[in-house]
Amino acid sequence: MSAPRTSSAPVLPPAPPRAAAPPVHPDPPGERRPAPRRRSLRSRLGPYLLLLPALVPVAVGLGYPLVRQFVLSFQEYGLAQQFGRPAEWVGLRNYTTLLSDPYVWGVIGRSVLFCLVNAALTMAVGIAVAVLMTRVGRGARITLQVGLLLAWGTPVLATMTVWQWLFDSQYGVVNWLLAEPLGLTGMRQHSWIIEPASFYLVATVIVVWMSVPFVVFTVYAGLLQVPEECMEAAQLDGANAWQRLRHLSLPMVKPVLLVVALLQVIWDLRVFTQIYVLQRAGAPTRETHLLGTYIYSLAKEFSMAGAMATIMLVITFVLTVFYIRRMLKEEV
Amino acid sequence: MTRVRTSGLAAASVGLLLALTACGGGNEAEAGGSEEIRLWLAGSDTPQELRDYLVETFEAEHEGMSLVIEEQDWSGLVPRLQTALSSESQTPDVVEIGNTQSPTFTHAGAFSDISDLVDELGGDDLLEGFVEAGTVDGDVYAVPYYSGARAVFYRKDLFQQAGVEVPTTLAEFGDAAVALQQANPGGAANFSGFWLPGQDWYNGIAWLYSNGGSLAEQDGDAWVGALSSPESQEGLQQVQELFANATSAPRDADSAEPWVPFNNGEAAMFSAPTWARWSIDLPECNQGVDPDDESEAAQAALAEQQACNEERTGIFPLPGPTAGEPATVFAGGSNIAIPAMSGNQEAARDLLRIIFSEEYQTMLAENGLIPGNSEYADALGDDVYAQAALAAALDAQLTPPAEKWADVEAARILEDFFQEVASGADLAEASARADQLITDTLA
Amino acid sequence: MTAARPGAPAAARRRARGGGTGRRLLGLLAVLVALVWVFPIYWMVNSAFLPTNRMRTGEPSFLPFGGTFSNFRNVLTDSAFYDAFKVSLAVTGLTLVVAILFAFLGALAISRFRFRGRRSFILTILVVQMIPAEGLFISQYQMLDNWGLVNAVLGLTIVYVAAILPFTVWMLRGFVAGVPLELEEAAMMDGLSRTGAFFRITFPLLAPGLVASGVYGFLQAWNEYTLALVVMTDPDQRTLPLWLQGLVEANRATDWGLVMAGATLISVPVIVFFLFVQKRMSAGLVAGAVKG
Repeated sequence: MSAPRTSSAPVLPPAPPRAAAPPVHPDPPGERRPAPRRRSLRSRLGPYLLLLPALVPVAVGLGYPLVRQFVLSFQEYGLAQQFGRPAEWVGLRNYTTLLSDPYVWGVIGRSVLFCLVNAALTMAVGIAVAVLMTRVGRGARITLQVGLLLAWGTPVLATMTVWQWLFDSQYGVVNWLLAEPLGLTGMRQHSWIIEPASFYLVATVIVVWMSVPFVVFTVYAGLLQVPEECMEAAQLDGANAWQRLRHLSLPMVKPVLLVVALLQVIWDLRVFTQIYVLQRAGAPTRETHLLGTYIYSLAKEFSMAGAMATIMLVITFVLTVFYIRRMLKEEV
Repeated sequence: MTRVRTSGLAAASVGLLLALTACGGGNEAEAGGSEEIRLWLAGSDTPQELRDYLVETFEAEHEGMSLVIEEQDWSGLVPRLQTALSSESQTPDVVEIGNTQSPTFTHAGAFSDISDLVDELGGDDLLEGFVEAGTVDGDVYAVPYYSGARAVFYRKDLFQQAGVEVPTTLAEFGDAAVALQQANPGGAANFSGFWLPGQDWYNGIAWLYSNGGSLAEQDGDAWVGALSSPESQEGLQQVQELFANATSAPRDADSAEPWVPFNNGEAAMFSAPTWARWSIDLPECNQGVDPDDESEAAQAALAEQQACNEERTGIFPLPGPTAGEPATVFAGGSNIAIPAMSGNQEAARDLLRIIFSEEYQTMLAENGLIPGNSEYADALGDDVYAQAALAAALDAQLTPPAEKWADVEAARILEDFFQEVASGADLAEASARADQLITDTLA
Repeated sequence: MTAARPGAPAAARRRARGGGTGRRLLGLLAVLVALVWVFPIYWMVNSAFLPTNRMRTGEPSFLPFGGTFSNFRNVLTDSAFYDAFKVSLAVTGLTLVVAILFAFLGALAISRFRFRGRRSFILTILVVQMIPAEGLFISQYQMLDNWGLVNAVLGLTIVYVAAILPFTVWMLRGFVAGVPLELEEAAMMDGLSRTGAFFRITFPLLAPGLVASGVYGFLQAWNEYTLALVVMTDPDQRTLPLWLQGLVEANRATDWGLVMAGATLISVPVIVFFLFVQKRMSAGLVAGAVKG
């Protein structure tokens, strides 16, 4: 097996760096003009056949339940309906009940704010650590990778219990550290989660801690794709490390960054486990609900939860429409 | 070329998925079989010995049938019931369910009507509040499996040093807790006379109930919050006093693991189910036995350690407003029912008959659980723990048997409310707000 | 320091870049970041060694001196642990293979082909991820129940694959798009077929992306709790997270040391899996087209 010969290959423009190449099909886009006669049925079916394996499980395992959830949101459907009581159509009533409740709007506002702050922090820290990873030796890199992976891969049940212990009022290590070595004796019995503001601070620490590893791994993988020759050419042109990062690496991994940022927004908007566990650790529940936990508290009224889920979809869409449009534009 | 290759690959993967789906279809038959009946027990409260008894007895009475007991975790019980109970092939034939979860499923129609069986199972001797939680419109769908109540654990040495006697009325209990807190005989930092964390409504409602108050009352067809009633307010006032002067427990904690501060010398009293005795581990008694050490010496040391702990620790039922009567505390425990979807109704009813037999009820009691049929509660024994448990349990009260009570618990309205009380909120205002939330939720 | 010998592999050159001291400082920083991230995990492992009466006290025990191995021993001698381990391994392995393969094909379709419905598909898999899934378990359960796939590895695998696929397709699409097509074209000019160019040039460049998606998929399937809870009700079909929750409730007063030991042991395969694939992550470039 001969190694791929690439001696003649990538002569990429060193500067100015361009955005990651929108995929250019070797054939000019087919659907815009009449397909050439000789393209067989099989070749036109090619992409669909490639998509099919992904499409089938998603449609069945996710699509159907999602559609059903949407339909239920226009009914009155709770536990009793599951045991055979007929479901009554109520039109938009579930939606109007939710949207006319000022409390729900409060939850939405808090969630959006929490989501934006957390997504931004996660992305900033994640990108910084990913870049750091490209600059250090193998030993340090693997240490960092394994450390992050442990944070990401340990069962949430255990990590959330530990976080709860760390911030415990009575026996928490955080209070102990503040009071004993640092001398802030007033913090010895500090209740971290009883005030919504400091509750969200603790939640942010935990959420960022749990989300950063994913961002680091993905962005780091993206940075590895940047061809070395581009970097070298830029270096020869006198670009310093920061300029190379800012103008070369980051733009080239933009597709990955966009995807990751988008997912962070989606995930942080519906953050559930961390908030749920912290609430159960002793926070005032009603004042600390975010959308995820609020939907869960409605869970026995499936139709209500379904309506709230649809509302969340709209919010997510509004929050991300800028990215989505940009992304789709690049898809032309 | 390319196209052929890639589409071939795609076709192969679809084939793979289909093949995988197809080969899974085989195990449908065994799930719906009628030769086997399944009992879901919640949590680890039912000892192995009792499970063995059920299996042996049932299988002896039913030639050719087998009983399978599957233990379900409390934390995942509700979602599992939500799904499995509505499936003909997956439903268990008999289920244990938490007493506060019982009304929701009963009202939803998840269980079979067993009114005609009630007399045979114990009739009026069945724990009343539990039967009520399993009743809709006079028909009984769920019956009590066992109950447990809370009692107060205390440090005898700290009582002695502070010159405090075991209280005989609820008022004396409050005074004793305040006195202990002030005396702080052990000199511990952040000491509590009575460990009462801010969200601990399971213990807190004892004051409400004992003063004749309640969480919600039925008003015609509707349920309304009753925290604002004068009786409830009186009880809440006493609770707020305890929060202010008798405890240093964090406001952002609940009833979980109260023995931890007790073991650390930071609380003179705490209230918990009587099995908490096995978690008491005072440093002055701890012999540092390696848990792996199974030698006789180690076992002897452990026994000595337990004896030492129990010698220094006392237990009493929370006293009521008048001397000689226990307080009305919150009743924990569970119900048992036959899912409506079960295809083995007759066998399931036979299993209930075995569970409510004298033998089995006595075995429950001997294992420290208050049996569903109170006639057999005497078998609990006469050690202090059993006596305290029994005294507390006989007067214990459940949460309101409203259809949507589980939603009140899911929304954690009472946790939030007691936390406000602990933070020194204006009682009338906080109660009015909480009442409104309860009324809206139960509507 | 620096310029590497001409002709050295790209990765080696990359590593050599930067000054010695600066690089060492950065290395130190990396280790510090790792320590911050690892601290809660350390606390978990530490607790697994501590006797219960030292776990939560006024003076935290930072080191498990005088600790005990009994928690680990108890987990490792628990046959339920191995049963759950087998189920988890089967579900995760099957999910991973199927999801990555299907997602790879899907990603290829949307990034290398143009066809009717392509943008709708992209939009759909994006939107699907925006809908909160908390309420879906009822419908998913009923579906599996109709097919007789409750309490079956295959049933759980199907819902996991469905849950992971949209993300993985989406992610891999980004990585496929990140490989400049010029590379493939150049290789084709060198006489390789399009398929050959793809598998020789582009595929190796996708290794980091495949690994990143693989790690993601592995963790999702390995640690998922909610769906497993309702699908796997038979105690013999428990996955590891269900087993761990069972450990919390095995005694009326939770033995936290045991739970922490269990959680530690659950994380071990994650690290093993990663160390097994991580070489691919950095090796992608070296093995691929860019190598001289």
